[in-house]
Amino acid sequence: MAELHELTAEQIAGAVTRGEASAVDVAQACLARIRRVDPSISAYLLVREADALDEAAELDRRRAAGEVLGPLAGVPVALKDNLSLSGGQVSCGSRVLEGYVSPYTATAVQRLIDAGAVMLGKTNLDEFAMGSSCENSAFHPTQNPWDLGMVPGGSSGGSAAAVAAATVPLALGSDTGGSVRQPAALCGVVGMKPTYGRVSRYGLVAFGSSLDQIGSLTRSVRDTALALGIMAGVDSRDTTSAAQPVDDYLDGIEAGIIGLRIGVVKEVHAEGLAADVQASWQSTLGTLRSLGAELVEVSIPNLRAAIAVYYVLANCEASANLARFDGVRYGHRAKDARDLRDLYLDSRSEGFGPEVKRRIMLGTFALSSGYYEAYYGRARGALEGLREQFAAAFRAVDVIATPTSPTGAFALGERVDDPLTMYLSDIFTVPANLVGLPGIAVPSGMDARALPLSLQLLGRPFGERTILRAARAFEAAVAWSAAPSFRGAPASVGGA
Amino acid sequence: MARLRLSPEEERQFVLQLGRIVAYIDQLKDYPTTAVAGLGQGSPEAEDRVAPCLPRAFFLANAPATFDEFLLVPQVKGGDDG
Repeated sequence: MAELHELTAEQIAGAVTRGEASAVDVAQACLARIRRVDPSISAYLLVREADALDEAAELDRRRAAGEVLGPLAGVPVALKDNLSLSGGQVSCGSRVLEGYVSPYTATAVQRLIDAGAVMLGKTNLDEFAMGSSCENSAFHPTQNPWDLGMVPGGSSGGSAAAVAAATVPLALGSDTGGSVRQPAALCGVVGMKPTYGRVSRYGLVAFGSSLDQIGSLTRSVRDTALALGIMAGVDSRDTTSAAQPVDDYLDGIEAGIIGLRIGVVKEVHAEGLAADVQASWQSTLGTLRSLGAELVEVSIPNLRAAIAVYYVLANCEASANLARFDGVRYGHRAKDARDLRDLYLDSRSEGFGPEVKRRIMLGTFALSSGYYEAYYGRARGALEGLREQFAAAFRAVDVIATPTSPTGAFALGERVDDPLTMYLSDIFTVPANLVGLPGIAVPSGMDARALPLSLQLLGRPFGERTILRAARAFEAAVAWSAAPSFRGAPASVGGA
Repeated sequence: MARLRLSPEEERQFVLQLGRIVAYIDQLKDYPTTAVAGLGQGSPEAEDRVAPCLPRAFFLANAPATFDEFLLVPQVKGGDDG
């Protein structure tokens, strides 16, 4: 019998609803797990121990009084620390927001709370969600539970590590260029970025507003479907949220993929996958074929340009979004500034870390007079090409498959001084953000070092049901949940 | 524009790193540009309606320095050119 902290969200909600476990028991089990493993992985920036136990006790009282709890009854959840929870910190992994207390709660988070979830804590991230390794946090790096010398990926690295190490069954992240899917891949968990507009961004600190989406990290595709169904839907506080009706994502999720047309992007091979990754990728495609899917080669010639397009457009938006951090209304303020200009310059220079500074400079450069057409204009043009190529591909197939990341986890420190190599980790994930498509990362196997690899499935806009069904069929076939994944992690964590 | 002040060490490092990144981005020259239809994934205009906003006390509680109901900042212009 699995311990409470090892259960999926679906299992926990079932047990709490039926009265087989109390919400307090579950919260205590997960808090104990955090105390045991987090000293080794540093996934959390804040643990809400007392508040979480109070909130769980309140759920138990409501159930005892005869109230029917929601579909996430008693499910502990961790939030990436760029998501607002009223009365608590939202550090964004940055010194510039030290001391800031959020006066409101993000819509996606509130919907989980309304469904019975208990917010256990805030997780580590690359500063302002800018990074692919979680090493750009101003506070500390996070370690990969599979190998403590490796990065967990990023920027939602704390959320991915927290789920992989079984401290929570569900964590939220944000995905601007792969920041949910890439750490999910490196930590051997499921990560999903919904269609742009599917989930309200209200209460998510903005990075690239036309690219950002809130997504989930879980240990099962069914939990991903469950969480999405609760978070999705229009929100008057985010005008980019879509009015499209919300599907029941669990309905039909076990139906299999016989006859599903899956596009295999031929340009993936040009990315020079290592032999072990290539072998695993071929085996992944074989599994999809054996499940009855029809594999069809598709071409996305602008795939190679996607990173360049992304690092222009995302940074242009970031440079504008981060202009608000100036030491006047909230956050870090430099001491002894002589005038307002000094206050801006000193507060920002002291508060932001090197990666954020690099991106602000790139963004302001690309938007500056004389360079705008050469960078922003060209990037927009190449994006239109990418958009047309995906539209053409989706006329021939139902789903597109790529590896989520070109490599398994890399060593802590390995890419810290080489931002361009770090950026290239996102080659397969950024197109979904640029084009606004839904994408899911699902564990697919191991590399030669026995570290997780991952399959990414991309769908048509609002085609979440189809990619969830395909991901569920694949997950069942590789039997990953039975593999020594998160169960193996604690032992290697060393009984902390 | 970026409103950042860099140390000489940061300047040396960033020139090197940003040079490589911009050189990589320059590959966009090799891609045919497609006519851009509009300014991206536009959103519908929000309905214009009156709603309560954040109470002033909540807003001011996060400010590094305040005076009565106002945000406090250093002098806006320097001494000589003020």
